[in-house]
Amino acid sequence: MTKKSGEKTVEERMIVGIDLGTSRSAISASNGKKKWVDSYVGWPKDFIARKVVGKPILFGREALEHRLSLDLYRPLKNGVIKEGTARDEEAVKELIHHLITLVQTKGEAEKVRAVVGVPAESFKVNKVAIKKAVADFAESLLVVSEPFAVAYGVNALDNAMVIDIGAGTVDFCIMHGTVPSEDDQRTVLTAGDYIDQQLFNFLEERYPHSDFNMNMIRRFKEEFSFIGEPERAIKVDIPVDGRPTKHDITEEMRRACESILPAIVESTLELIAKFDPEYQDIIRQNIILAGGGSQIRGLDEYLEGVLKEYGPAKVQVVDDPLYSGCDGALALAQDMPEDYWTEV
Amino acid sequence: MITPNPDTTRLKSAILRGVYDENLRMNNAAPEPRKVKKGPGVRLLSIMAMLVLVVGGAAVLSRYISSGHSPGNGSSTPVAKVQALEPLPITTVEMRVPVPVPTPTSHDSFILQAPMAATAPVREDRLLDYSLILNNNQVSLSSIFGLGVHTIVIDPGHGGIDPGAVGVMGTKEKDVVLDIARRLRDRLLASGRYNVILTREDDSSMTLAERVDKVNASHADLFISLHVNALPQKRANVIETFYYGPPSDEETLQIAEQENRGSGITASEFDSMIRKIGNTFKEQESANLASSIQHSLFTNVKKYDKDTADAGIKIAPFVVLLGVDAPSVLVEISCISKKQEELKLNLPAYREEITSFLAEGTTRYLATKNLHIVQGEENDQKVRRKNG
Repeated sequence: MTKKSGEKTVEERMIVGIDLGTSRSAISASNGKKKWVDSYVGWPKDFIARKVVGKPILFGREALEHRLSLDLYRPLKNGVIKEGTARDEEAVKELIHHLITLVQTKGEAEKVRAVVGVPAESFKVNKVAIKKAVADFAESLLVVSEPFAVAYGVNALDNAMVIDIGAGTVDFCIMHGTVPSEDDQRTVLTAGDYIDQQLFNFLEERYPHSDFNMNMIRRFKEEFSFIGEPERAIKVDIPVDGRPTKHDITEEMRRACESILPAIVESTLELIAKFDPEYQDIIRQNIILAGGGSQIRGLDEYLEGVLKEYGPAKVQVVDDPLYSGCDGALALAQDMPEDYWTEV
Repeated sequence: MITPNPDTTRLKSAILRGVYDENLRMNNAAPEPRKVKKGPGVRLLSIMAMLVLVVGGAAVLSRYISSGHSPGNGSSTPVAKVQALEPLPITTVEMRVPVPVPTPTSHDSFILQAPMAATAPVREDRLLDYSLILNNNQVSLSSIFGLGVHTIVIDPGHGGIDPGAVGVMGTKEKDVVLDIARRLRDRLLASGRYNVILTREDDSSMTLAERVDKVNASHADLFISLHVNALPQKRANVIETFYYGPPSDEETLQIAEQENRGSGITASEFDSMIRKIGNTFKEQESANLASSIQHSLFTNVKKYDKDTADAGIKIAPFVVLLGVDAPSVLVEISCISKKQEELKLNLPAYREEITSFLAEGTTRYLATKNLHIVQGEENDQKVRRKNG
């Protein structure tokens, strides 16, 4: 790689791929480090809270644990930063800074090159805001949509479809050898958070005297979510009048998880049907599920079953849903020609 | 996991070029929408947007006028509601520390976002249906469907770094309306019939978008936004109540611009919100609530202050009223630019009185609503008895 006098070499710079998610954000760096954090940012409400938490700003799980003392932000709630909400923009900025510091070791370059993957909806409306948020920490940066970053990372570059099931949104993206346009992408809002809400409602209805909260519901979902037939009955401990009591939540879990299926099926079929008829069969056999929602047991088989009614179909799940987005973004960053970085 | 395409290198090269191009475009086209000055082009777009609003709301207006109300005094006196230019310390309502009155700033948020609506086609047949429903003064949708009210959300305007209007003695709109909102909540809660929520419980900043989100998330059945007027060029204590619709005059449009500033509503959100104009129920009930509150507030305040002016019920495009699903009104409860009024607003007893007038107007509206429901049930029972 040629370089001008005084310039840092590519090797001296750290390159990072960032997955800025609604629920979790992850970073993958060229130094081999990978980290993730829940997408929460909190500032102490007042000086007393500042003294209690001992830090000027908290992130992720730590922020959640101290939520009563904090002004807590989940900046990409519903997949977008609300325009004009300065605090949310600030939270995005701090979150990205935090992620970068997590993978930086002392002595490494302070400035980095970054490719940031964001929810597709946010990419449409917030790309400039996100660029501004990262500008202070990155020497150069590129913003891409999250499902596209996943597609790039798994080499699904042509005649493939990525379905990225996150907390706030399910993002669909058809790859056909170019950067996907808005027409190649869809976003639906019935995603992981919707499952949580549904499960909460169903359990509240069935067990009105049991004490549970959203965090417990999320934990149950992450451990037991399924579609179709259960492997075994799902029984969890939920307190009733302070006493831990076993509750069977099998049926409620199934109903909650299946509640997101109609929108996913409809959008998948609609996007494929819009594609060149000659290639629709190939796309149907190149469908990749990503994001936390891809871990719902039985989802890939279910979707494959539905698509097979239209012809041969194959649905695969990414190996590492937590890092597939940032790994893809990192791969893209590392492949990006030097000239492009310089101009960007 | 996916079998690499033999042309992967070529594909990647094209894709990387695409990513680069897209980001370059992004860099070169990074407008700062909120800092754009209103030039002739923006004015033209504003006019187009207002035309759409006027067409969409024509039916509302026609019903409104036909019911005998005045759409406002139509005065073109410029609005002088002001906003502080920098964050101010949290104060109590009783605080009378004089602060310099900031100069009015330019207004941009509503006008700049409104043009998005101009692209939406307006179907004439739908407008006709809409107008037929709305022109029927004998029918209230709430009585047709027997709808009740459970949750009331009260919105103390401004807050945090945004003081709203500031009187010459330093009294801030945000403090006055927060205190009155708390009092109104307590009064309505005391009836034991309603769940009452405030959009902000303390002196915190909230964008209009956050307020709208909170109101809709709480499944509000009724929404009352409280504000205080600042009209230095008027000697009277001007009281007025708004509900959503196209502006009834230039002055109203300027007030809407003031109150919509920094709404935090994106263009796409605005587009989806504008579709809610067709919500006939909301408009009917908003008009009734506005009428009841305005009547109660004005007639009672007038007893104490002969210089009180009834600016009436106005239809105006306040973003916060449009975004909220429930019937909604925005009440300008007083006029802080009038020195005597500012002095009175600093007295808890006067704020309590204003609260009682607001509560009276609200409960009268709610009672009428219940009457409609009872009448509907009685009629229904009569019909059943008749049918055996």
